[in-house]
Amino acid sequence: MNRTVLLFLLFIIMFAFSCEQNTNSIVVYTTVDQVFSEPVLKEFEKETGIKVKAVYDTEETKSTGILNRLIAEKDNPQCDVFWSGDPLRTAVLKNKNILYSYTSKAAEGIDMVFKDKDNYWTGFSARARVLIYNKDLLKDDDVPQSIFDLTDKKYKAKVAIANPLFGTTTFHFAALFSVIGDERAKLFLDSLKANDIVIASSNGDVKRRVVKGEVYCGLTDTDDANEAIKESANIGVVFLDQKGIGSLIMPNTVSLIKKAKVSDNAKKLFDYLLSEDTEIALAKSCAQMPLHKGVKLPKGVLSLDNIKPMNIDYNKTAGKLENIQGYLKAWVEDK
Amino acid sequence: MQSIMSIIKLKNISHWYSDNRVLDNLNLEIEKNKITYILGSSGSGKTTILRLIAGLEVPDKGEIYIQNIKVSETNKIIVTPDKRQLGYIFQDLALWPHLTVYENISFSLKNMNKSEIEGEVKGILSLFGLDDYLQKFPHQLSGGQQQMVAIARALALKPKILLMDEPLASLDVKSKRKILDYIVSIKEKYDLTIVYVTHDHREAFAIADNIVVINEGKIQESGTAEKIKNSTNDFVKYFIEW
Amino acid sequence: MLYTIVLLPVLFLLVLPVLNIVVLTFFDSNLSESIASMSTDLFMLLLKSLAISGIVAFISTFIGIVLGFSLYKSDIKYRNVFRLLILIPLFISPYILAVAWKDISVLIFDIDTSLFKKTYSFIGMILVHSTIYSPLSILIIGSALSNISKQMEESALLIGGFKDMFFKILLPLIRPSIITSFVLILIFSISEFSVPAFLGIRVFTTEIFTQFSAFYNHNLAMLQSLLLIFICVFLLVSERKRISNSVFLSIGTRGKEVKLYSSRKIVIFSYIILSFTIVFTVFVPLSILVYQSFRTGTSKFMEALSLLLPTISDSTLLAILGSIISVFIGFVAAYYSEVLNKKLMNLMLLILFAIPSTIFGIALIKFYNNSILNFIYSSFGILIIGYVGKYSFISTKLIGNSIKQIPKSLEEAAVIQGIGFFKRIRKIIVPLVLPSIFASFIINFLFCFGDLGISIMVYPPGTEIMPIKVFTIMANAPESLTSSMALIVFLVTILLISLLFFIFKKIIAKYNVNY
Ligand SMILES: Nc1ncnc2c1ncn2[C@@H]1O[C@H](COP(=O)(O)OP(=O)(O)O)[C@@H](O)[C@H]1O
Ligand SMILES: [Mg+2]
Repeated sequence: MNRTVLLFLLFIIMFAFSCEQNTNSIVVYTTVDQVFSEPVLKEFEKETGIKVKAVYDTEETKSTGILNRLIAEKDNPQCDVFWSGDPLRTAVLKNKNILYSYTSKAAEGIDMVFKDKDNYWTGFSARARVLIYNKDLLKDDDVPQSIFDLTDKKYKAKVAIANPLFGTTTFHFAALFSVIGDERAKLFLDSLKANDIVIASSNGDVKRRVVKGEVYCGLTDTDDANEAIKESANIGVVFLDQKGIGSLIMPNTVSLIKKAKVSDNAKKLFDYLLSEDTEIALAKSCAQMPLHKGVKLPKGVLSLDNIKPMNIDYNKTAGKLENIQGYLKAWVEDK
Repeated sequence: MQSIMSIIKLKNISHWYSDNRVLDNLNLEIEKNKITYILGSSGSGKTTILRLIAGLEVPDKGEIYIQNIKVSETNKIIVTPDKRQLGYIFQDLALWPHLTVYENISFSLKNMNKSEIEGEVKGILSLFGLDDYLQKFPHQLSGGQQQMVAIARALALKPKILLMDEPLASLDVKSKRKILDYIVSIKEKYDLTIVYVTHDHREAFAIADNIVVINEGKIQESGTAEKIKNSTNDFVKYFIEW
Repeated sequence: MLYTIVLLPVLFLLVLPVLNIVVLTFFDSNLSESIASMSTDLFMLLLKSLAISGIVAFISTFIGIVLGFSLYKSDIKYRNVFRLLILIPLFISPYILAVAWKDISVLIFDIDTSLFKKTYSFIGMILVHSTIYSPLSILIIGSALSNISKQMEESALLIGGFKDMFFKILLPLIRPSIITSFVLILIFSISEFSVPAFLGIRVFTTEIFTQFSAFYNHNLAMLQSLLLIFICVFLLVSERKRISNSVFLSIGTRGKEVKLYSSRKIVIFSYIILSFTIVFTVFVPLSILVYQSFRTGTSKFMEALSLLLPTISDSTLLAILGSIISVFIGFVAAYYSEVLNKKLMNLMLLILFAIPSTIFGIALIKFYNNSILNFIYSSFGILIIGYVGKYSFISTKLIGNSIKQIPKSLEEAAVIQGIGFFKRIRKIIVPLVLPSIFASFIINFLFCFGDLGISIMVYPPGTEIMPIKVFTIMANAPESLTSSMALIVFLVTILLISLLFFIFKKIIAKYNVNY
């Protein structure tokens, strides 16, 4: 009896401290939802034989885990490649001096707009900010076509956005501030508040509320919109401001982490993520729009060519964010 | 009293619980092979005396000798409780509730093989008329039987001294009488010195060789039952009236 | 000796990392700036959080008393089944419970006006938290109730009626466990974060979270957490004071018999209240999960199963190892604190318990992420260290309350008879507190098995553990998949817990604990 107990304990202690020492491997941290990122990484493993050890997190929790982990690990980075769902968080890391500047051949087909000017990050496959609405609750004529329509009385207390302190919503607001100027943006936010806008805990929560009919419509990302359509037949999607300032386009970004020695394997994955194959895979799995020109798109996926993008400088917008964050916090809390 | 005869000696013992002084410069000698009763009202420090003798409490001042060996001194235990060759019957008996009568008694037997232990335990238990209760748990026994088990357990290691802290307080007169008789007989059989603590002077008068009356941590009177009965000490007179 | 052997690793592996970041925070150049930004608004927020969590603790403890009595003192059938069922809310994730309840209330009440929404959110948070934490209270209070010896109640019943006995004897006797339950739940509730975040309530923890994940301001978050830690420590220390002043009933030295009430009124009341609670906290949310999982057929459920199956064995082993160590450390800390009055380790564990998970995670990273300790940081070892640091205090608390009830004489009797220290522990103390050792093992297991806060900060790259996987998949998954995963987690947990119960029953029978 006692011996079995001891053996059992020994076994689980060994299990606890056993760690695979595989030299032909790399560590990836990604904030892109596991359902979509994992298949891409698995494919890379299969093609190259390089083992990918991933740490996943989710936008749903504002990626607290990964970002804070990267910051805390700064003095002895574990991570080789950081794959982010948006350029914003990458900008935070760039400011904290955690990234490594790298120019990839694979990125040649991608527009300069979607790259960091110092090459700390490179964008690929993009999502857009869109409006989703519940067709049972809004007639075609009533569907907002501009973000500025949302201050209209007829949508009072029936529009949802995610908490603008986090994630892509922050980025959206920062973009607005840089496009229409601080003063107009603040006026707009104040009238949103006056119109009792509903602040949800995340983009996923916005989706949920629209699908359930708690609100008429809400701002969210294309991947959430895509899921909403899969879940419910009565969801419509609108790219806002196509006649005005345009819709916000948010690329994924990939960066290398600054280390004593940045491995070749890391660069291989970097290149792989920027390849057309990856963009096609992501277009298929979550309707992301490829940034390489002329990629053959699966049916039903929009191309960047069909959308009027919001004209912003991604580098500057990330900087803008730091200026308005205090204001946004006050705005949320005052609700 | 001649110190050659005394097996336990407390010298200038004082003891506090935080700022409550319980024993005040107490000097006490216990005669060998006698039954000594320590008599006092509750809260007078009787239990504390037993605990000091047993080494469960460290004296704040003074010295304690057992068989002429210094076992405790100010703030120090020199000989640990298990080396003092004594048995202790606690006020609450302290039978281990999750062990059977057999296990309670065999628990401390060491350096013996299984059949030796069995013989030993059975021997003790039959002496106390508990043969039928080997596999019972303490709570399945009557109060008197529990006392017997506690005494049997204390005697299993053949101690020289038995310290008893009011173990019979809750018994009826008849059972009490029976156990007291046992105590006298085992004293003879085991060649024991017994220190017995109680607030019941009639019990003391019935079987004590010596009686020590204490109050508020000080000895009021000590000697034979006769001496106590004729004491002129106010407290003693008052105490044995009841 | 044993104390030192256990204390040293606790100090070096668990406390030092925290000390390290506290020191780093205080030597940071922006310290004064951070302090300046802690306005009065923050203190108001703290008060608000305290008020909400106070209500939660009050309600949960009240439920704990009523249901504890029904479960442990009334003569009902299928007691063990009820005991197991009532524990269930403890292992449904708070977030999922919040979502389920919100869905129901939207269906029933069709909440509309924003004023109502705001009050609703508060009520919602109190409701969800009370649901999750009541089982803890039931467990704590129930085990105290079952330690009261029959005579005490019966003698009171002879003099007064049931009511007198209940209020004048029973309640005062279990006062220590009532206080413990209140304080523990207050601390749990005030440091829980997912429910207020989901319901959009601004509380102290969401504020700390914002500093972390919107501003990446570790120093300010750290300072704010210190405030929270300070409050928790204050609460627990004053709890200790109150408890040590109150009577502590003891395990009978002459054996124990639990009085069970079999009057029709009490038994029927117990059945009703237990069934109601189980329907309300278990059946309703579960049916919603089942409905949402299978509404579109079984395919999503199968998908969830294939996603989660590979994670079960690692997660289970980790949680078991984590809780074995926690219980061991908890026992040692409790024994030395209660019997030998050495309280240092207790205090250390308390502080670790009060630290928000994210901060603890960062502390672990900063300490373990270097070339020397990398073998721990890159293995499951880091998770175990995280679990043990965060949850050992629960064991200390539960086992400590039990050890307090053992009369000192039981051990002293053994000392005099020359029984060595380890044999005393093994053969006397451990068997007597076995029920609370098991209770804390179960609770620790549940917390380790479901831990997200620390795990997400430190789980080794390339590994998969269940809560993380559920969480990272849940984000974008359709409702049916999310619900399926919640359902599977639930089923796996209940299976494991039943297994543990079964094993414990065997061990308890072997040790004759139900004397
Ligand atoms: N462990 C303790 N801590 C504090 N006070 C104690 C302790 N044990 C006993 N006392 C106090 O010391 C006094 C003497 O106690 P005790 O020796 O048990 O008396 P007796 O056995 O004669 O009733 C009492 O006032 C009691 O309250
Ligand atoms: Mg006494």
